[in-house]
Amino acid sequence: MTEFFKFDDALWQRVVALLEYDPLSPLTLTTGFFLFAFLIFGIGYLMVRGRATLRTLYVVLFSLYFYYKLSGIYVLLLLFVAASDFLIGRLVYGCRERGRRGRGWVALSVVINVAILTYFKATDFFVDVVNNLYGSGTLNWESVVVPAGVSFFVFQSIAYVVDISRGEIKPLNRLSSYLFLLSFFPKMFLGPLVKAKDFIPQIEADGVSVTKADVGRAVSLVAGGMVKYAVIAKALGLLFVAPAFAGELGDGGFVALMAIYGFTLQIYCDFSGYSDIAQGVALMLGFRLPDNFNAPYHSATITEFWRRWHVSLSTWLKEYLYISLGGNRRGSFRTYLNLFLTMLLGGLWHGVGMTFIAWGVLHGVALALHKIWMRIVPGAKALGGDMSPLRRTFATIFTFNLVAFGWLLFTAEDMSVVGDMLSRIANNFSTADIWATIEANGVAFGLMALGYLLHALPRRADEALRRGVERVGFVGQCVVMVVAIWLVMQCGMLLAAETGAAAGLPMYAAF
Amino acid sequence: MKSSDSTPRVVLLTLTVIVGVIALGFVPQFELFGMPIRSIDILSDLRDSAADEPVEYEADIERLEQELASMVVRDTVAVVDSLPVLPPVRYEWIEGEVRTEARVKPRSEMLRSVAESRSVAIENFDTLQVTRFDNLVEKLASGEDVRIAFMGDSFVEGDILTSDLRSELQRLFGGRGVGFVACDIPFKTVRRTVKRSSSGWSAYSVMKPKSVPENLSDKFFISGYLARGGAGATTTWSTTDAFPTLDSCTRARVLLYSRDTSTVELRINDTIPHSFVVAGDDRLRELYVEAQNIGSVGVKVVDGEILCYGVSLEGDSGVVVDNFSVRSNNGHAIFGTGAAINRQADDMLGYDLVVLQYGLNIMQKGQRGYTNYRKQLCNMITYAERCFPNAAILVLGVSDRWVKSDETGAYESIGSADALTSYQRAAADSTNVMFWNTYEAMRALGGMPQFVANGWAAGDHTHINFAGGRRIAKALVAAIVEPVYELLKEREEEQRRIEEQRQRVLEAQRRQQMQLELSLEATRGLLEGVDLASIDSLGQGGEEIATDTATIDDVESGEDGIEEVALNIESEK
Repeated sequence: MTEFFKFDDALWQRVVALLEYDPLSPLTLTTGFFLFAFLIFGIGYLMVRGRATLRTLYVVLFSLYFYYKLSGIYVLLLLFVAASDFLIGRLVYGCRERGRRGRGWVALSVVINVAILTYFKATDFFVDVVNNLYGSGTLNWESVVVPAGVSFFVFQSIAYVVDISRGEIKPLNRLSSYLFLLSFFPKMFLGPLVKAKDFIPQIEADGVSVTKADVGRAVSLVAGGMVKYAVIAKALGLLFVAPAFAGELGDGGFVALMAIYGFTLQIYCDFSGYSDIAQGVALMLGFRLPDNFNAPYHSATITEFWRRWHVSLSTWLKEYLYISLGGNRRGSFRTYLNLFLTMLLGGLWHGVGMTFIAWGVLHGVALALHKIWMRIVPGAKALGGDMSPLRRTFATIFTFNLVAFGWLLFTAEDMSVVGDMLSRIANNFSTADIWATIEANGVAFGLMALGYLLHALPRRADEALRRGVERVGFVGQCVVMVVAIWLVMQCGMLLAAETGAAAGLPMYAAF
Repeated sequence: MKSSDSTPRVVLLTLTVIVGVIALGFVPQFELFGMPIRSIDILSDLRDSAADEPVEYEADIERLEQELASMVVRDTVAVVDSLPVLPPVRYEWIEGEVRTEARVKPRSEMLRSVAESRSVAIENFDTLQVTRFDNLVEKLASGEDVRIAFMGDSFVEGDILTSDLRSELQRLFGGRGVGFVACDIPFKTVRRTVKRSSSGWSAYSVMKPKSVPENLSDKFFISGYLARGGAGATTTWSTTDAFPTLDSCTRARVLLYSRDTSTVELRINDTIPHSFVVAGDDRLRELYVEAQNIGSVGVKVVDGEILCYGVSLEGDSGVVVDNFSVRSNNGHAIFGTGAAINRQADDMLGYDLVVLQYGLNIMQKGQRGYTNYRKQLCNMITYAERCFPNAAILVLGVSDRWVKSDETGAYESIGSADALTSYQRAAADSTNVMFWNTYEAMRALGGMPQFVANGWAAGDHTHINFAGGRRIAKALVAAIVEPVYELLKEREEEQRRIEEQRQRVLEAQRRQQMQLELSLEATRGLLEGVDLASIDSLGQGGEEIATDTATIDDVESGEDGIEEVALNIESEK
């Protein structure tokens, strides 16, 4: 490097170009661009943080820019959803004031939001079906690109209107506050979904409170999340899981089995890692987001799994889908049916296709069966914590494999892939392959071992680690962050060189 | 709770982290447990290289098929209603009487020493009964015209390797001229096999698509460069005598695209100008000049606007080798070229062989896996096949390369050329095209250190020079010539065998005729000599007559045999 940096007109042009939306490099919390943007944003935030109105406006503007850098023109969709539900929320409240329930308005909000979701998620499927029935070219429709995180802000918005109609919250007075609730940049496109009841007071508070301990905790969340999301999940996925599913690593049973376990870890690290980063970044600004994951593979039953996995979504499904369907108040048969329907719709939400339906059915049936089991088997426990250690171990292994099988359905391109992977495990499993496979994929297996080991640690160890980061002080925290960023960048370059893949988005951004 | 507010701490932390990450960027690359630990650069997006960095093209087979399909449809329409009449594809100008050179009819004797020097053979993965390579070999063996497109990166820039490939093939199979030369290139290049001076053009590179106007983005030919010029834009190409077959030629073909009508002037040898009015059309066209001793060709836009690709300088028969080198291209630039333009150029020029020489730019020290590149290469091959449907495709493996060791500072093998080679071979195998192992050929010549020691490669242990290119070209020519030689030898052998058989048969015929005459003579003599005195020996004589009759039968059946042989000869012809 002869000259560290050249300041010229071209540099200015490059800066301007960087500020524009580029579909090839969407903005996420782990990009270098975000690091610089966060610094500039932070300086302004220092000045406005004490005044609720100004702060809200400032954060909303940055959040909208963030979403523009992520999804381009779809920022208008976000604005539309915000405006429509902000208005509907007020109308629903007006009805409640007059003693009516405003069901028509709630229905309108749901219809608008579900229509948006359906358009983005089901159009391709529908076009495919028509073209298969009536010959290709009957419907000439460009493939629909799902805007990143569309379902997260749509769900968030439905919840707001329903909460008002249920009388749990009052509608917000300012559109900017509602936009804040919907688009707060750390959580905007991957959750966690927040309860309006808990989050609105934070928006409206006079000042923000960030303690030294908060900063330490935020650093540990961000750094740990980055390693989980951008190192373990990305590398495991690109180096092993994707090629194994594509059949590039041979058709051995061991590879197939490890690909399924690999994906099980990958989706957890990808999703929970990014959620941790979001939580950490929000905390740095003084906002507390709820935990989204709680060591889900420690679950001893499928019921427990759904209390530990993607908690904000399962809560949402419970409160706005399961309860709306009648929950458990209409007799045991309807309870099972409602559980089943909730999970089926939850599956369908991920995408219209047989594999997602199968995934939803698997979980729906498993949850219903577990409810029946609880009723007919005396001494059956819902949570692992209540079981004897031996029983808990067996239950955990069983639940883990059930969930892993679910992930196979979830990630497989179609049902033939599911059959193929299972038949490879059943018919083509050779112990001779084991060592050769591990040797040939050393990095991936190393990461898988590390990932599962970290996940197996008890919560105490996790907390001890976090407190450690809180205690190392400012310099130590800087070092932790720099090391994490360095690791992410190394991993990114390694993956680019090995597989040619770019960084991309978290997996769940597609849903 | 203003007192407990640590927000400034957050901002300070972010700033410190940024400074820390930038500082870490000064740590050079090193290795840890055999894994390369690279230098990080968080400011990379702001650096010059980022803006200049060529866009990575992705293969879009669908677009390719669409472009090709629309081309075909257009032609059919033109034939069906024949209105409006399409402007011609070729505008000709025949200047004076052109003496055509005698076509070279190769004989195995001429090729033997070259063929026997072959070190690394071409691997043909084609599965057709008669492969496209067979067609090429057949054309070379029978002295027909052959055109080769050599697509590559900076390895062959300036006509390194290709100039010797061309010269050697033209020596053996005839042909003149340097082949294709671009009209204008957006940076300085030197080619010692041809001179070019140009002015007034806007030149574009397929590697910098951001700088290319949108309406030109599908107009690139595999040459990779495009020059747009209005009135006054001019380029002159002049031959050089760097190689014996290049000093002059008899044909010049300027390739251009003129959407609207334009007037273009050509001038050969700086003297005689000739004006063409090129009617507007959405196809590639050529201005074709035939003249004795063309030493220079000038093109000048007089009116309107054209896209000029370049000129092809050729003889009237034999081999033409076009050098299409595009700097820092991994081969993916072909996805950025226009399928229709490529196909139209193929219809015009008729390629028999397309060589793909890439890989030097993607090789990383110690990297052993190139799965992605293999897939990309397969797509490149598909593209080339669709654009040049009659051509055999030859993938050249990556060349040997050595890099400086971080610890010792001495050069050591990059340790990945053999790995990349195997991925390139796998791509050729799975797409049923041909492969030639450049790495092996260089190793047979001593490898990169020997190349540098001999002065055949630059000190960077990466780029060969003309001397090195000549060695590799000779090895490649030998690999191409060997099957031609074998074919010719076999044919000549066959010819000789047939000739010998004919001679043998004729000989036998002659002998039998003689015998027949002799025995007739003897019989006649015998019959004449019959008298009372020799009555005793009659029985004996009768037997002799019987024997002679048998001989006559033999001779008759022998004549049948000759006819049979003659028939065989006919059918073998």
